[in-house]
Amino acid sequence: MATQIVMDHTGDTRHHFDAKDLKALAEAERRFKALTANGFTAATRQASGDVSLARSFDPNTEETVFYPRLVGG
Amino acid sequence: MVVWLTVPASWIGRAALHLIHAVQAAQSRRRARFESRAVRGITLLREWLSPQQRQQLECFNHIEVIGCDSGKSYRIQHGVCQNVLELDGDGCPRMGWCFIPEGNLVPGDVMLAQKIALETNERRALAVAKQFLVPPLLPHVAATT
Repeated sequence: MATQIVMDHTGDTRHHFDAKDLKALAEAERRFKALTANGFTAATRQASGDVSLARSFDPNTEETVFYPRLVGG
Repeated sequence: MVVWLTVPASWIGRAALHLIHAVQAAQSRRRARFESRAVRGITLLREWLSPQQRQQLECFNHIEVIGCDSGKSYRIQHGVCQNVLELDGDGCPRMGWCFIPEGNLVPGDVMLAQKIALETNERRALAVAKQFLVPPLLPHVAATT
Protein backbone atom coordinates (compact mmCIF):
# COMPACT_ATOMS: atom_id res chain seq x y z
CA MET A 1 0.00 0.00 0.00
CA ALA A 2 1.32 3.43 -0.94
CA THR A 3 0.42 6.50 1.08
CA GLN A 4 -0.02 10.18 0.35
CA ILE A 5 0.10 12.34 3.48
CA VAL A 6 -1.37 15.81 3.21
CA MET A 7 -0.67 18.41 5.92
CA ASP A 8 -3.54 20.77 6.61
CA HIS A 9 -5.30 22.50 9.48
CA THR A 10 -6.94 19.23 10.50
CA GLY A 11 -3.53 17.64 11.09
CA ASP A 12 -2.34 15.23 8.45
CA THR A 13 -4.71 13.32 6.24
CA ARG A 14 -3.49 9.99 4.93
CA HIS A 15 -4.68 8.57 1.61
CA HIS A 16 -3.75 4.92 1.15
CA PHE A 17 -3.92 3.33 -2.28
CA ASP A 18 -2.93 0.13 -4.00
CA ALA A 19 -0.49 0.95 -6.81
CA LYS A 20 -1.74 -2.08 -8.73
CA ASP A 21 -5.29 -0.74 -8.79
CA LEU A 22 -5.49 1.46 -11.89
CA LYS A 23 -8.46 3.45 -10.65
CA ALA A 24 -6.79 4.18 -7.30
CA LEU A 25 -3.57 5.04 -9.09
CA ALA A 26 -5.35 7.54 -11.34
CA GLU A 27 -6.98 9.11 -8.28
CA ALA A 28 -3.60 9.37 -6.54
CA GLU A 29 -2.09 11.02 -9.62
CA ARG A 30 -5.01 13.45 -9.82
CA ARG A 31 -4.50 14.31 -6.13
CA PHE A 32 -0.77 14.83 -6.67
CA LYS A 33 -1.36 17.22 -9.56
CA ALA A 34 -4.14 19.11 -7.78
CA LEU A 35 -2.09 19.64 -4.63
CA THR A 36 1.13 20.69 -6.37
CA ALA A 37 -0.88 23.04 -8.62
CA ASN A 38 -2.25 24.62 -5.43
CA GLY A 39 1.20 25.40 -4.05
CA PHE A 40 1.82 22.25 -2.02
CA THR A 41 5.31 20.75 -2.11
CA ALA A 42 5.61 17.00 -2.49
CA ALA A 43 8.49 15.15 -0.87
CA THR A 44 9.51 11.53 -0.58
CA ARG A 45 12.01 9.76 1.61
CA GLN A 46 14.39 6.90 1.09
CA ALA A 47 14.99 4.06 3.50
CA SER A 48 18.20 5.83 4.60
CA GLY A 49 16.14 8.76 5.84
CA ASP A 50 17.20 11.07 3.01
CA VAL A 51 14.43 13.30 1.75
CA SER A 52 13.94 14.49 -1.81
CA LEU A 53 11.40 16.60 -3.66
CA ALA A 54 8.94 14.89 -5.99
CA ARG A 55 8.44 17.01 -9.11
CA SER A 56 6.10 14.54 -10.78
CA PHE A 57 3.92 11.64 -9.76
CA ASP A 58 5.77 8.36 -9.35
CA PRO A 59 3.51 5.30 -8.96
CA ASN A 60 6.34 3.37 -7.30
CA THR A 61 6.80 5.79 -4.40
CA GLU A 62 5.75 4.26 -1.10
CA GLU A 63 5.17 7.46 0.85
CA THR A 64 4.76 11.07 -0.25
CA VAL A 65 4.18 13.99 2.07
CA PHE A 66 2.60 17.26 0.91
CA TYR A 67 3.05 20.50 2.80
CA PRO A 68 1.48 23.89 2.00
CA ARG A 69 3.29 26.83 0.45
CA LEU A 70 5.94 28.42 2.71
CA VAL A 71 5.55 32.00 3.82
CA GLY A 72 7.63 34.33 5.95
CA GLY A 73 6.48 34.25 9.56
CA MET B 1 -40.52 41.27 31.97
CA VAL B 2 -43.51 39.70 33.66
CA VAL B 3 -42.54 36.30 32.33
CA TRP B 4 -38.99 36.82 33.57
CA LEU B 5 -40.19 37.57 37.08
CA THR B 6 -42.38 34.48 37.19
CA VAL B 7 -39.50 32.10 36.29
CA PRO B 8 -38.28 30.43 39.46
CA ALA B 9 -34.72 31.27 40.43
CA SER B 10 -33.81 27.59 40.54
CA TRP B 11 -34.61 27.30 36.83
CA ILE B 12 -32.20 30.12 36.02
CA GLY B 13 -29.53 28.54 38.17
CA ARG B 14 -30.04 25.18 36.50
CA ALA B 15 -29.91 26.74 33.03
CA ALA B 16 -26.71 28.59 33.90
CA LEU B 17 -25.15 25.38 35.22
CA HIS B 18 -26.19 23.54 32.08
CA LEU B 19 -24.60 26.27 29.95
CA ILE B 20 -21.34 26.13 31.92
CA HIS B 21 -21.19 22.34 31.53
CA ALA B 22 -21.82 22.62 27.79
CA VAL B 23 -19.04 25.20 27.39
CA GLN B 24 -16.62 23.08 29.46
CA ALA B 25 -17.45 19.99 27.39
CA ALA B 26 -16.90 21.90 24.14
CA GLN B 27 -13.53 23.21 25.42
CA SER B 28 -12.54 19.71 26.45
CA ARG B 29 -13.47 18.31 23.01
CA ARG B 30 -11.50 21.07 21.29
CA ARG B 31 -8.46 20.45 23.51
CA ALA B 32 -8.62 16.71 22.81
CA ARG B 33 -8.86 17.37 19.05
CA PHE B 34 -5.80 19.66 19.19
CA GLU B 35 -3.83 17.18 21.29
CA SER B 36 -4.70 14.42 18.85
CA ARG B 37 -3.55 16.60 15.92
CA ALA B 38 -0.37 17.55 17.79
CA VAL B 39 0.47 13.92 18.60
CA ARG B 40 -0.09 12.88 14.98
CA GLY B 41 2.15 15.73 13.83
CA ILE B 42 5.00 14.68 16.11
CA THR B 43 4.53 11.03 15.10
CA LEU B 44 4.81 11.94 11.42
CA LEU B 45 7.87 14.10 12.11
CA ARG B 46 9.58 11.23 13.96
CA GLU B 47 8.90 8.88 11.04
CA TRP B 48 10.66 11.24 8.65
CA LEU B 49 13.73 12.01 10.77
CA SER B 50 17.12 10.40 10.45
CA PRO B 51 18.12 8.31 13.50
CA GLN B 52 20.42 11.12 14.68
CA GLN B 53 17.69 13.76 14.36
CA ARG B 54 15.25 11.49 16.19
CA GLN B 55 17.69 11.27 19.07
CA GLN B 56 18.11 15.06 19.12
CA LEU B 57 14.36 15.49 19.26
CA GLU B 58 14.07 13.06 22.17
CA CYS B 59 16.91 14.62 24.15
CA PHE B 60 16.76 18.34 23.32
CA ASN B 61 13.33 18.90 21.72
CA HIS B 62 15.02 20.23 18.58
CA ILE B 63 16.58 18.81 15.42
CA GLU B 64 19.57 19.92 13.38
CA VAL B 65 19.60 19.91 9.60
CA ILE B 66 22.16 20.79 6.93
CA GLY B 67 21.08 23.25 4.25
CA CYS B 68 21.35 21.58 0.84
CA ASP B 69 22.65 24.69 -0.94
CA SER B 70 25.01 26.34 1.55
CA GLY B 71 25.98 23.42 3.76
CA LYS B 72 25.13 25.55 6.80
CA SER B 73 23.66 23.98 9.92
CA TYR B 74 20.25 24.95 11.23
CA ARG B 75 18.50 24.10 14.47
CA ILE B 76 14.74 23.64 14.24
CA GLN B 77 13.22 24.04 17.67
CA HIS B 78 9.85 22.70 18.71
CA GLY B 79 7.35 25.38 17.77
CA VAL B 80 5.43 27.04 14.99
CA CYS B 81 7.22 30.37 14.48
CA GLN B 82 10.66 31.92 15.00
CA ASN B 83 11.97 28.42 15.65
CA VAL B 84 14.69 28.06 12.99
CA LEU B 85 18.18 29.13 14.03
CA GLU B 86 21.22 29.23 11.80
CA LEU B 87 24.25 27.91 13.68
CA ASP B 88 27.85 29.03 13.47
CA GLY B 89 30.84 26.72 13.32
CA ASP B 90 30.68 26.18 17.08
CA GLY B 91 27.02 25.19 16.99
CA CYS B 92 25.86 28.49 18.51
CA PRO B 93 22.87 30.35 17.06
CA ARG B 94 23.96 33.33 14.95
CA MET B 95 20.75 34.25 13.12
CA GLY B 96 17.07 33.36 13.21
CA TRP B 97 14.91 32.56 10.18
CA CYS B 98 11.15 32.55 10.30
CA PHE B 99 9.25 30.70 7.59
CA ILE B 100 6.23 28.48 8.01
CA PRO B 101 3.80 26.57 5.85
CA GLU B 102 0.49 28.33 5.20
CA GLY B 103 -2.46 27.27 7.33
CA ASN B 104 -2.78 26.58 11.00
CA LEU B 105 -0.49 23.56 11.29
CA VAL B 106 0.64 21.84 14.46
CA PRO B 107 4.31 22.04 15.57
CA GLY B 108 5.28 18.58 14.25
CA ASP B 109 3.96 19.38 10.77
CA VAL B 110 5.60 22.83 10.73
CA MET B 111 8.94 21.36 11.81
CA LEU B 112 8.77 18.62 9.17
CA ALA B 113 7.99 21.15 6.42
CA GLN B 114 10.93 23.30 7.60
CA LYS B 115 13.27 20.28 7.66
CA ILE B 116 12.28 19.18 4.15
CA ALA B 117 12.55 22.73 2.81
CA LEU B 118 16.07 23.28 4.20
CA GLU B 119 17.30 19.85 3.11
CA THR B 120 15.89 20.01 -0.40
CA ASN B 121 15.42 23.65 -1.39
CA GLU B 122 17.22 25.84 1.14
CA ARG B 123 17.54 28.89 -1.10
CA ARG B 124 13.83 29.05 -1.83
CA ALA B 125 12.93 28.62 1.85
CA LEU B 126 15.25 31.43 2.92
CA ALA B 127 13.99 33.65 0.10
CA VAL B 128 10.54 33.80 1.73
CA ALA B 129 11.85 33.73 5.32
CA LYS B 130 12.10 36.73 7.60
CA GLN B 131 15.29 37.10 9.58
CA PHE B 132 15.36 37.81 13.27
CA LEU B 133 18.19 38.49 15.66
CA VAL B 134 19.14 35.89 18.20
CA PRO B 135 20.30 37.21 21.55
CA PRO B 136 23.87 36.12 22.29
CA LEU B 137 24.08 33.22 24.71
CA LEU B 138 25.62 33.74 28.12
CA PRO B 139 28.95 31.89 28.43
CA HIS B 140 27.65 29.28 30.88
CA VAL B 141 24.60 28.57 28.68
CA ALA B 142 26.68 28.32 25.51
CA ALA B 143 28.93 25.77 27.21
CA THR B 144 25.97 23.43 27.79
CA THR B 145 24.48 23.56 24.27
